[in-house]
Amino acid sequence: MNEPVPALKVEKLRKTYSNGLVALDGVSLEVAAGRFFGLLGPNGAGKTSLINSVVSLARPDSGSVEVFGKDAHREFREARRMIGVSPQEINLDKFLTVEEVLLYHAGYYGVEKKKAKERAEELLERFELTGKRKQRVSVLSGGMKRRVLFARALMHDPKLLFLDEPTAGVDVELRYKLWEYIRELNHGGLTILLTTHYLEEAEELCEEIALINDGRIAAQDTSVGLKERYAAQSIEEVYLKVMGHVAGG
Amino acid sequence: MLLADRSFRTLLSREILRFTRIWMQTIVPPLLISLLYLVVFGVALGPRIQEVGGVPYLQYILPGVALMSLITGSHMNSSWSVFDAKRERYIDEVLISPMSDLQIALAYSLGGTLRGLIMGTGVLVVGIPLVGVTVEHPGLLLLIGVLSSFTFASLGTMVGAMANRIDHISFLTNVVVQPLAFLGGVFYSVEMLPGALRMAILFDPIFYMIDAARYATLETSDLSPYPTLGIVLLLAALAFTGAWWAINRGPNLRY
Repeated sequence: MNEPVPALKVEKLRKTYSNGLVALDGVSLEVAAGRFFGLLGPNGAGKTSLINSVVSLARPDSGSVEVFGKDAHREFREARRMIGVSPQEINLDKFLTVEEVLLYHAGYYGVEKKKAKERAEELLERFELTGKRKQRVSVLSGGMKRRVLFARALMHDPKLLFLDEPTAGVDVELRYKLWEYIRELNHGGLTILLTTHYLEEAEELCEEIALINDGRIAAQDTSVGLKERYAAQSIEEVYLKVMGHVAGG
Repeated sequence: MLLADRSFRTLLSREILRFTRIWMQTIVPPLLISLLYLVVFGVALGPRIQEVGGVPYLQYILPGVALMSLITGSHMNSSWSVFDAKRERYIDEVLISPMSDLQIALAYSLGGTLRGLIMGTGVLVVGIPLVGVTVEHPGLLLLIGVLSSFTFASLGTMVGAMANRIDHISFLTNVVVQPLAFLGGVFYSVEMLPGALRMAILFDPIFYMIDAARYATLETSDLSPYPTLGIVLLLAALAFTGAWWAINRGPNLRY
């Protein structure tokens, strides 16, 4: 029987920035299709560098990336079409309204107009943005902008969703709503890779967790498996033990 | 893979939406300035100047003024659009989309080309009845306009992608394009210049564009128009190669 194709397969990925900083030091990672996967680590550990390398926003020095079996470099159109990214920093096109952000995004991904309009309606409603649809994104509050980023990432119906610190600067109410929604998406079959500083968020949501530090995967297992292996009560304790261990050499 | 697929067309339409949405800033002021050139240099000072190349002065400067407006519009459009997108990082959305770098560079450059053509056409639409001239070779004029606009829009895309600070963009406008446009023979014929300057002007790309546009409009020019057209074509190809390279390799565009 054939092995199921993983949603993401990263092999020996290495990325050195022009200032000499080694952001990824031979990272290998596999995320099974349909998995809710957490990537945890301190600032500068390599989380965003890893996501950027997958979507070609960073140029890795070596290594390979496959998205549902498609090479992210050679078959970049197919690979990128399957990926949605909600980035850490808000980066909305200031010339566009909320609705236009969604429709133009769909267009960039080749989604047919009628389908894009239907999808936009659905997401505007889902993220309670219907009343703001004609407003320019530049005048929205931080929380609203975060919702638009989310909706934008989902516009082209990706199969693999990267959520890079999605709840940074988001109030508690919205955070719970987002959790509920992404959980629902995951149950619907969407593979999710989440990076977060909120360890309880990772514990709450993720089936499998990888801890990354200094550009290397320090530990990877299911949430339960990690807690067992490190004799810990929570992922926070696992985190502190792994990072403490790494820091201590 | 089709170059002009839906992704490409969407980015191009976004580029058009951008400059039409801020038309008070992108279209009205530059058109007004060009018309002021015609009024000040042509109507006020023109009668004191002899005919140039057998053509009344106001007629002589019209193609150059239109082309200067076109060049200003095209390079400013793409340089600002790309730089803004890069500075505020919403270019990431485009860079991680299924579009190739070639498509991205082309969409930004064609957006600028269109804005330039609108500017140039605007000057001609007002200027032609004002000056009272018939365009001798409209097809050739259109071709020169498209190529010139594309050249400078591509240059704008390149500089926008390369720039790390706002002053890099204003450097292109104020220190490169504007002086080259003024020296490129908008207001005079190279015949009127002393020998050394006459040689120097041959290194000014805008000179070829203006000269060819003048031929297409008035059938008078300093150089033979068809080799000039070849030079303009070459410049367009070079500039676009630069734009493509910069979208692929521009500093801080990809990490």
